[in-house]
Amino acid sequence: MLEARLSQSMVLKKVSTNSSLQHLIVEFSDRTNHLQVVDAIKDLVQDCNFDCNDSGIALQAMDNSHVALVSMLLKAESFEPYRCDRNIALGVNLVSLTKVLRALQNEDLVTLKAEDTPDSLNITLESSTADRISEYDLKLMDIDQEHLGIPDTEYAATVTMPSAEFKRICTDLQAMSESVTIEATKDGIKFSCAGDIGNGAVTLRNYQNVEKEHLNVDIELTEPVALTFSLKYLVNFCKAQPLSDRVKICLSNEVPLLVEYLVTGTSYLRFYLAPKIGDED
Amino acid sequence: MARTRASKGGDSTAKADSSGATTSVSKSKYAISQPSQNPPKVFILPKKATEDARIVSLLHPRYAKPTRYLVCPKTGFYELTRIAAPKSTPQSWLIQADESHGPERTEAGNRPVEKDAESFGTYVTNGAELFIATPIDPLFLILPTLIDPSGKSEKRRYISGDDHFDRIQKKSPHLWEILRWGEGRIRGLLETRLGAVCETVEAGDERMFRFSEEKLTAEILATARRMSARPLPQSMEEKFVVKPLEAPVLGVKRETTTTTTSTPVSAEATQDDSSGTNSANGTPRLETGETRSSVSSTGSGSSFASGASTIATSVAASEDESQALAAALQPAMVASDEVVSLQRLRTAFNFLCSSYVPASLVTILRVKLSALPEANFAPLDTYLSEVNRLRQEAAAARSAGDYSRKRVLDDEELAERAEKKRKKEEEDKRKKAGESRGVRELKKVNTAGMKKMSDFFKKKA
Repeated sequence: MLEARLSQSMVLKKVSTNSSLQHLIVEFSDRTNHLQVVDAIKDLVQDCNFDCNDSGIALQAMDNSHVALVSMLLKAESFEPYRCDRNIALGVNLVSLTKVLRALQNEDLVTLKAEDTPDSLNITLESSTADRISEYDLKLMDIDQEHLGIPDTEYAATVTMPSAEFKRICTDLQAMSESVTIEATKDGIKFSCAGDIGNGAVTLRNYQNVEKEHLNVDIELTEPVALTFSLKYLVNFCKAQPLSDRVKICLSNEVPLLVEYLVTGTSYLRFYLAPKIGDED
Repeated sequence: MARTRASKGGDSTAKADSSGATTSVSKSKYAISQPSQNPPKVFILPKKATEDARIVSLLHPRYAKPTRYLVCPKTGFYELTRIAAPKSTPQSWLIQADESHGPERTEAGNRPVEKDAESFGTYVTNGAELFIATPIDPLFLILPTLIDPSGKSEKRRYISGDDHFDRIQKKSPHLWEILRWGEGRIRGLLETRLGAVCETVEAGDERMFRFSEEKLTAEILATARRMSARPLPQSMEEKFVVKPLEAPVLGVKRETTTTTTSTPVSAEATQDDSSGTNSANGTPRLETGETRSSVSSTGSGSSFASGASTIATSVAASEDESQALAAALQPAMVASDEVVSLQRLRTAFNFLCSSYVPASLVTILRVKLSALPEANFAPLDTYLSEVNRLRQEAAAARSAGDYSRKRVLDDEELAERAEKKRKKEEEDKRKKAGESRGVRELKKVNTAGMKKMSDFFKKKA
């Protein structure tokens, strides 16, 4: 049996027993959080499996071209309550899920329930202020998905920066070109692009703000690295920006770029993107 | 003027020779449930036919089946044409004997006074059938006697008229009956007509006849000439005279199409069968307004019967009009008056052959006709072949020049195609529904030079 509840601000709350016979119960109380997770993914992939086990809910999916990968893990601690007796794969069409989640009001509690071999996912929306309960059953589907093993990598450069800043840089540069070159040196990190109308570049240096820590820009560098990426994909990743103030960008030669949004605690949403190699036009 | 009167049913006419033909009217004045076994029929009979005229069964010359004819001892033979409303529009006659006609009838005839007016009662007939009697050349009725029943082409001998009539005695029993009528006047009439198509020899006080195909051909041709002296009935005129002679309109594309899509009615087709089985190529044509003028069948009636006179109401399509129409469309060539009259003559001849002449004789007649010096159809044939050539040219020009025309698919192919399209659309729709805008946008991204994720990360075991 699985029960899971995601509470406000993802603060871990006391796990309580639920008498329901259903096997998966996940509750989110933060509308924006869950919605943004789904929103950020739905523009990248169409259908995907939510793999539920006793440690939490995980998701791994690739886009149609298989050049980008999204990996999400919502730890069991993020939910209150969370219960999952057996491993369950919930095949969900993300567009359909978005349609249901659109009914979410702010501050609503979200409970997900599913049986061991589910045909549908039960979604209950509870208003925390008024006594209103909405219930939805979302049809599930069988999705054949291969899982890739992602090894822990020592990246040559790791940049932690405000997520809003990263989003602005990406959207600004997208206006000029299709792709961006990210160059990490000990001086700072440079986003540069060259397009038909000219070229542009944004450089960020190490920045420390003691009062407002979320505006810090931290660059950890073992060796300089410069890689080129598709801006369209990066802008897509940035849709997860509301999830977190901070974004971590990891670069290394010959491996995909990692863009990570820390949801809460150890829960995360990670995007991988293959670099552009060779001649670009 | 013909007068209308209710006559007896078919059964009673069978015993018409016995001068006292009685109306066998079932007394159903009050019982409406029982339909009359012998319902009255409506005839339009010629006024000049005397009271002694009877409806008899004679062999139809073309179809060799007993058919009813009105025979008057004094004025000759009449064929009956049935005119009926189509089954889709049921109509009825309401028949009531008029008392004022009663006395007139009893005066004229020596037969017992018919139980008229009151006893006859009032009838509503089942269908609105109308029988019109029109004069027919008795020659046609004796044509079957000229064919040797054995079918062999043995050498023809001179034989007496009686021997001729004997040949169809079994098939046409009434013939012998009517031969005795009117103090032999009918016999005289028939023998005269027989003489017209036979070579005769006087043997004592008896005339002997030998059938001559040449004479028959000439006779029918003469009849056809009389028939074609004026325009044929409109439907015939249009289909067999105007249309075959119509040259394709050149220069006006739409009109060309109209002309060429209809099967070209060649001279041959006209010859084959002019009785109306030829497929109607409904070329739209301006309807002439006045049109309906009845061709009153004149002439002696006994000796003259043309095909045209058998059709009571006919329409005289004025040749001028059709020519005016043709001129308006600016066809490639216009038929001269000579060609038109020749075509009309040929149509008339074919009509007579196909309606009144035994099939076995028709082929012989055709051969004889072509040998006849006075029937020179050469100008017509030249014209028709020219028209044919123009039509083929027009058709070829159209098929070569009309690129816009799509290939015509048959229904099955169309259905299959539609089904395929529908399935594909459905599938696409389903896919689209599960796809977000972002996913669609990403499809357009140029991913050249980007490696697949599986190149970096190995599959989980």
